[in-house]
Amino acid sequence: MNPETKRRLRLLFSLFRPRLAALAAGFAALLAVDAMQLFIPRVIRDAVDGIAAGSADEQSLFRQGLVIAALGCGVFVCRYGWRRLILGASRQVERDLRARIFDAVLGLDAPFFHKNPPGSIVALASNDLNAVQMACGMGLVALVDAVVMTLACIGFMLAMHPFLTLIAVAPLPFLALATALLSARLHHRFAAAQKRFAELSEFCRQSFAAIRLVKAAGIEARQTRAFGRIGRSYIRDNLRLATVQGALFPFSGLMGNLCLLLVLLAGGRLVIEGAVSVGELVAFISYLFMLTWPMMAFGWVAGLFQRGMTSLSRIMKVLDSRPVMAEPSEPLPLPAMDKGVRIELSGLNLDSGPGRRLLEGIELSAGPGLLGIAGPTGAGKSLIAAVVARILPVADGCLFINGVDANRISPAAWRGLVAFVPQHSLLFADTVRANIALGRPDAGLAEIEAAARAAAIHDEIMAMPAGYETVIGERGVSLSGGQKQRLALARAILSDKPVLVMDDPLSAVDAATEQEIIANLRKIFRNRTCIVASHRFSLFEEADRVVVIERGRVTDRGSHRELAARNPWYAMVAARQAMDLKP
Amino acid sequence: MRGNFGYFEDDRPGSFSAGAIWKRILVRVRPWWKSVLLAVVLSQVVVGAGLAIPWLVKEALDRYITAAGLAPAERISGILRIAVLFCATAATGFAANFFQVVVLERCGQEIMHRLRQDLFARIISLGLPFFDRQPVGRLVTRLTNDIQNMHEMFTSVIVTLFNDILRMAAIVVILAAMNPVLAGILLLALPPLFGLTALFGRTARRLFRDIRATVAALNSFVQECASGMSVIQIFGAEDRVRSRFDELNRDNLVRNLRQIAVFAMFMPVIELFATASTAVVIWRGGSRVLEGMMSIGALAAFLHYIRLFFQPVREMSQKYSIVQSAVASAERIFLLLETTQQEPQGGGRVPRSPAGAVEFREVSFAYDGGPEVLRGFSLKIAPGETVAIVGPTGSGKTTVINLLEGFYRPGRGAILVDGVAVDELDPAWLRRFIGLVSQETLILPASLRENITLGRDIGEAALARVVEQARLGPLLSRMEKGLDTAVGIGGRVLSAGEEQLIALARALAGDPGILILDEATASIDSATESLIEEAIATTLAGRTAIVIAHRLSTVRRADRIVVMEAGRIAESGSHEDLAAAGGRYAAMLEGERLRD
Ligand SMILES: Nc1ncnc2c1ncn2[C@@H]1O[C@H](COP(=O)(O)OP(=O)(O)O)[C@@H](O)[C@H]1O
Ligand SMILES: Nc1ncnc2c1ncn2[C@@H]1O[C@H](COP(=O)(O)OP(=O)(O)O)[C@@H](O)[C@H]1O
Ligand SMILES: [Mg+2]
Ligand SMILES: [Mg+2]
Repeated sequence: MNPETKRRLRLLFSLFRPRLAALAAGFAALLAVDAMQLFIPRVIRDAVDGIAAGSADEQSLFRQGLVIAALGCGVFVCRYGWRRLILGASRQVERDLRARIFDAVLGLDAPFFHKNPPGSIVALASNDLNAVQMACGMGLVALVDAVVMTLACIGFMLAMHPFLTLIAVAPLPFLALATALLSARLHHRFAAAQKRFAELSEFCRQSFAAIRLVKAAGIEARQTRAFGRIGRSYIRDNLRLATVQGALFPFSGLMGNLCLLLVLLAGGRLVIEGAVSVGELVAFISYLFMLTWPMMAFGWVAGLFQRGMTSLSRIMKVLDSRPVMAEPSEPLPLPAMDKGVRIELSGLNLDSGPGRRLLEGIELSAGPGLLGIAGPTGAGKSLIAAVVARILPVADGCLFINGVDANRISPAAWRGLVAFVPQHSLLFADTVRANIALGRPDAGLAEIEAAARAAAIHDEIMAMPAGYETVIGERGVSLSGGQKQRLALARAILSDKPVLVMDDPLSAVDAATEQEIIANLRKIFRNRTCIVASHRFSLFEEADRVVVIERGRVTDRGSHRELAARNPWYAMVAARQAMDLKP
Repeated sequence: MRGNFGYFEDDRPGSFSAGAIWKRILVRVRPWWKSVLLAVVLSQVVVGAGLAIPWLVKEALDRYITAAGLAPAERISGILRIAVLFCATAATGFAANFFQVVVLERCGQEIMHRLRQDLFARIISLGLPFFDRQPVGRLVTRLTNDIQNMHEMFTSVIVTLFNDILRMAAIVVILAAMNPVLAGILLLALPPLFGLTALFGRTARRLFRDIRATVAALNSFVQECASGMSVIQIFGAEDRVRSRFDELNRDNLVRNLRQIAVFAMFMPVIELFATASTAVVIWRGGSRVLEGMMSIGALAAFLHYIRLFFQPVREMSQKYSIVQSAVASAERIFLLLETTQQEPQGGGRVPRSPAGAVEFREVSFAYDGGPEVLRGFSLKIAPGETVAIVGPTGSGKTTVINLLEGFYRPGRGAILVDGVAVDELDPAWLRRFIGLVSQETLILPASLRENITLGRDIGEAALARVVEQARLGPLLSRMEKGLDTAVGIGGRVLSAGEEQLIALARALAGDPGILILDEATASIDSATESLIEEAIATTLAGRTAIVIAHRLSTVRRADRIVVMEAGRIAESGSHEDLAAAGGRYAAMLEGERLRD
């Protein structure tokens, strides 16, 4: 068994372990059903024989009828039992595995999400999980049933005639070999189909998430065509899968027939030679007929298991993913912060792929107080903000908090220190209140309102249909751009962390509101460390220091006034923004 | 997170009867009836081969193996002859089975593909009010998991179902011909059987409908979390998200367990029917034989046929849960497919000589169930005029654009483009005519080139021009494959400002009659912005433009500035006039000046 399979089985076992008792009871019930079902025909035969022999009477028939009915009830109860126990367990396994996927996803960071878009994660937690659940439920039942039936039949056959049995089972190794080969094919083709399915999900997701663009640009037909192309590939993948699947299942039936044929030939010869009686051969063959169904079931089960295993390994890829910003092996405690927080970047380089340098040799230190980051579009301001918020991983010795290397501190502890206002306001389909209180679920309404006031959004919230309890649509679709931004700001203010990182937080806010917010923030700047990237220089007038980033490098630093006087680019932007002032 | 992530349990209130759903399914299967028929025929071959093999064995036994009269060599060669037939039959059965699977998969996939395409086309044609209420994850679930669910039924059930019904009917007919009385008795078992099935069917459908709702809720939730993970992590909300997820996950489990409990009852009950009738036949039938009212042969035959009769019934009941689950999915799909709330189709009119005149006449508007956002908004824009709209956030600026684009219908009043009401215009034409750079930039996962052209036929020269106008040069110089670099999810990540530049290039590339910039340069530095302004000045000349912005430096050059407040126009005029008038605009200027 290769290590990959071993790991998958270990995972499955750990999922099944809490339910072993239920499963054992379920399988006991399943076996009881098998046994009772073998017994009922006997009672019937006895009854018919009795009638034929004339030894039966009304009473004995009633008794036999009663026995059959009782067995029927027993079958009913046991069947009900195994269905609930085994299928129920498979659903619980599904639930647990889904929870593990979600847990794993919760612990992963930006590089993972860049490679695995939301649609494919959803596909994993629904479609792939479904394949695993099928294998764990009906697949397992069919397997156990088939194994038991096969063993029982082979046992009877062995007792009857070992030589014929040997001949009968001779093709089985070939069956095993062929099944293994076909399964390997199935694995690749099913993996391809599942991947395509994830692609399909992600395409739908993107099209609907970008519906405003789709509508405004009138590209509905184009999207539908592109979707159709993926759908066509999905058909092709599934047909390739079906050719394996279509062979696998009937193939085991074919092998069963081969067994039968061999017995017929060898047994026929033995009968003709007088070594075996006709009665024996007939009985032997009737057992072989009983074997036909379980043999075919093996093919079906093999397909189901292979699909389950393939999906499981897709799931395990996520379970095995580790965040790039992993927990340090020996996390250091957070440094003392009674004198404020100082964030330092030293010699920070950031690459995305070989030879693609995004940030180069960034040196800067922030806090306590406000540090402004200015720079042209695409210079790398957001990257610096993301690095400080620990969304993007950095190498050792680049990022420090009060002199301690960030990579030596647990990411969770770091995040406990930093509040962040992202450039794209990320809101959730939830109430306004819950969105603001994301970082402080315990916050009372008074605190939430205070934060909303500081972000100059309180009045607008009160004007919404249900005030703070208004549910905003997914990604905040029912809000204006500036409202979204200020909710994100209120969220960060409420979370009350010593470090506040804001990435272009007021770009969609009008000047008057901006002034109001800046006045409110002024109180916050005073005893905190703030890093603000912005295109609006009005914020920088409050800053202790401003750095100018150009093409991934720090090209200048100083106070707002100094830069306005010295740096040509800065002066030009400042002048243009000042132009607003002169009528 | 404790909000109602399932939103409403249903896509919309209402449901179909089972008959209505089946009718719709059959309509979709009909074009493929030849393939389905072929699959059925092939499956008959499989069944035939399955029956022929025991018969061949019996023949071999009867004719040769036990035929003591024949010479051993003859007996052996007889067996070999039968062995050849046996091989041929088995091989035929195998081949038929293989092709049945492939044929069925093919037509199943094709039918589902059609359905998926139709559903996608329908959803994407629906208006924005629909999308405001629908979580994306649910729509995706309908298009993926629900379709998959139907496909599952199609490949694993349809043909077997057909065969089983055929088999049952055949047995009843044979039985009726052989022994009408026995057949009559057996048929008595049918009404309770059907009644039971119908009863379970109704319960099952309700259960599966619930399951489809939780599946969609789970998917929406997972998707939303995956999309916003960085914020969840920074704000340390993992535990809360996790417990909300656990709730949804548990709901889903509970509903699945409920469904299992119901089917754990249903299938054994069917079985119990069979056993109980056997018991009754042994007791009552046996007594009648003893009384001499019935032959023992008839009794044996009857027992045999009970077994035969219940075999397909049992198999159908096994598949019943797949069928019910698929029907629940089909119901969701067809409800969505027949959602009537469409985009305003408009009269399909196109102005004879579009010049770009825009007029809002006393427009009032409220979003679904919300307060009035626009109140008696009136604005007339002459062709070629550049109008700037300023005003506090939430005052309704984007809403004005939404209405002009025909995304929503105004509650009162009218919106005219070149004298034609937006309602009557062909929306495709209108949206081509308007070039919109919306506030929320959206990048498709495709090459930069595709993101700009959006599949429109734009010459290289025009492309080079818009790239120049939107100042994409610095960005392109950093992209090793230039315009062919893949961007968006899975490709290169862009900065917010770069995304806005691309959105601008995209709008300019359409050579629009009306250009709308909705805070289109909010994430772009002022230096780049002024370069863009210069570059598009020639393009703007003679074109209608609406510019929404907060930075007054962006709007001051407009022919007219409109100040909006709470859904109304508070004042309008040129920069100089307004600044001198001492109204709200002047106050805004003053506000900016105060910072100094
Ligand atoms: N996560 C990322 N991975 C790779 N490249 C990125 C990533 N984020 C941004 N970039 C690239 O880095 C450059 C700087 O981006 P950014 O910091 O967002 O600019 P800005 O200064 O406008 O905020 C951009 O050209 C962008 O393409
Ligand atoms: N899709 C929507 N559903 C419900 N309300 C909305 C929707 N879009 C915007 N609103 C509300 O309408 C008002 C005006 O929004 P908008 O026009 O976007 O303002 P802005 O002037 O900032 O562009 C805001 O209060 C906002 O909450
Ligand atoms: Mg940025
Ligand atoms: Mg807006």
